[in-house]
Amino acid sequence: MAEETQEISQDVPQAHYSEKEKEEIFHGEFMPHINSMYNFGYRLTLDADDAKDLVQDTYLKAYRFINSFQKGTNAKAWLFRILKNSFINDYRKKSKEPNKVDYQEVETYYNSEDVDRQITPDLRVEALKDMIGDEISNALNSLDVDFRTVIILCDLEGFKYEEMAKILDIPIGTVRSRLHRARQLLKEKLSTYAKSMGYKNTNV
Amino acid sequence: MNPSTPNPFVTNGKKSTCLEMLQVILDGEATDEQKKYFKQHMDNCMPCFKGYELDMAIKQLVKSKCCGGDAPAELVEQIRITISQKIS
Repeated sequence: MAEETQEISQDVPQAHYSEKEKEEIFHGEFMPHINSMYNFGYRLTLDADDAKDLVQDTYLKAYRFINSFQKGTNAKAWLFRILKNSFINDYRKKSKEPNKVDYQEVETYYNSEDVDRQITPDLRVEALKDMIGDEISNALNSLDVDFRTVIILCDLEGFKYEEMAKILDIPIGTVRSRLHRARQLLKEKLSTYAKSMGYKNTNV
Repeated sequence: MNPSTPNPFVTNGKKSTCLEMLQVILDGEATDEQKKYFKQHMDNCMPCFKGYELDMAIKQLVKSKCCGGDAPAELVEQIRITISQKIS
């Protein structure tokens, strides 16, 4: 329970909604995000059944802790944060795969003077136009979950850096550097696809 | 570029690199001043111009290809039923 409370509240004042208000908030502000929530759950777990469980779990928690939600604030960000924390606590723990991202390394990399001189994978806009199948989706899914997450939040869901920082409980600087690294990795994947599709590696 | 124009990308006395500027622009986090500065800068910086084109194309592609469809109807139904039981 302590852990769950941690997942949800950020030391916000508690509201005291009536049953009717709770129902209105739940159906009016929470349920409209179900498609984005399911997609997020699916992209995190990469499994349809796990995604369903995770999303259902998240919505039940959201209802249980609805008094921690302040009307007029960003319901989508609030829900995404609960889902992300539920994923970490309930799913990642079970998974045998260790967390492979070395953040120290990422930070150092991003802050180094070499950042502009790095070898950018040669990928051309034209090559992207032929990626009409699952290439992009597969490339995204192949990234480590922490890198996948920032791309989903930013590019799919359009969250601002500040909102992402709150959802992920990390500083904005880390949001930026993680996003930067994630895009670099995604480009490397797409570049590999492009090569296999016959695009030459020339920089025209 | 007018050298007297202050660079709006300076934070803590440190100038942003091209890649850092690009990301701020791409994600819609730039101020109007930064956007104006970047636009001028991009005209004279081929890596920035190419980077902008490519990154924007990827961002749009990710959005169009990875958003998924609707959540499964049975999931939506299950949540509605569970919640309505709690409410009543």
